[in-house]
Amino acid sequence: MKEISMHILDIATNSIDAEATLLEINIEDSKINNSLKISIKDNGKGMSEEVKIKVTDPFYTSRTSRKVGLGIPLLKENCEKCNGYLLIDSYLGMGTKISCFFERDNIDRAPLGNMGDTIMSIINYARDCELIYTYKTDAGEFLFNTKEIKKILQGADINDTSVLLWVKDYINENMLGISI
Amino acid sequence: MDSSQFAEILQLKPLHEGIKNIEVKGVYIGDLLSIVMSKAKENYVWITIQTHMNIVAVAQLLDLSCIIVVEGMEVEKDTLEKAKELGIPIFSTTESAYQLALRLSDMGIK
Repeated sequence: MKEISMHILDIATNSIDAEATLLEINIEDSKINNSLKISIKDNGKGMSEEVKIKVTDPFYTSRTSRKVGLGIPLLKENCEKCNGYLLIDSYLGMGTKISCFFERDNIDRAPLGNMGDTIMSIINYARDCELIYTYKTDAGEFLFNTKEIKKILQGADINDTSVLLWVKDYINENMLGISI
Repeated sequence: MDSSQFAEILQLKPLHEGIKNIEVKGVYIGDLLSIVMSKAKENYVWITIQTHMNIVAVAQLLDLSCIIVVEGMEVEKDTLEKAKELGIPIFSTTESAYQLALRLSDMGIK
């Protein structure tokens, strides 16, 4: 995909579809280590060994509406093009963690993209799932937790359009503050 | 037309021997798979430099008529095996996407 954030959105929706109630998205961006590491961890229903092997096969999908499922295969291909890798850690009933790594200065590495937009879309999609998002760079760390936000909102709906738009700006501004 | 005739006219090298009838409704050129997925249509010829097995999945998903790999890029063995299994023709050429597009245009495909 054109931006890595689109992949994150895609994988996160898989987590929510797998009935996750907690989703943790972690991004570590480092010029010093020339690395961009991303992990998406959920407490959803997890995958059996058999399914775990199949999800990197572009011809496998848990959906019945299409013949192929390309979310993980496309991300894996993009990581590998950038001298990186994708790892899947998952146990049935225990949730799933997808970790991936990109060589940061690789010419084929897609830009991270608009994470404010992405997190906003995930919150909007995940009605019953809490989200913890961490963005760490050589310049600092930013933590976003929907549980904390909900406390501040004092009962106001996080899925209200004006709140979602504020979330988007809040994330983008904070990320910009520690961008490298 | 059949795929071997198609290959001959465009001076393409078929990468597996499965022959099928090719119906061409249009052409799409692109290397970013997600964009191809949203833009190419059924019975389109797809011109790309990508060779990963994922191209076969995209071609199957969209019911493309065939894949043409340009710039002489070498195609992985598992990509070819899967394409053969699914009856999706893959061709290769050392020409560029642009040069090939001109040939397709000359063939009357607009």
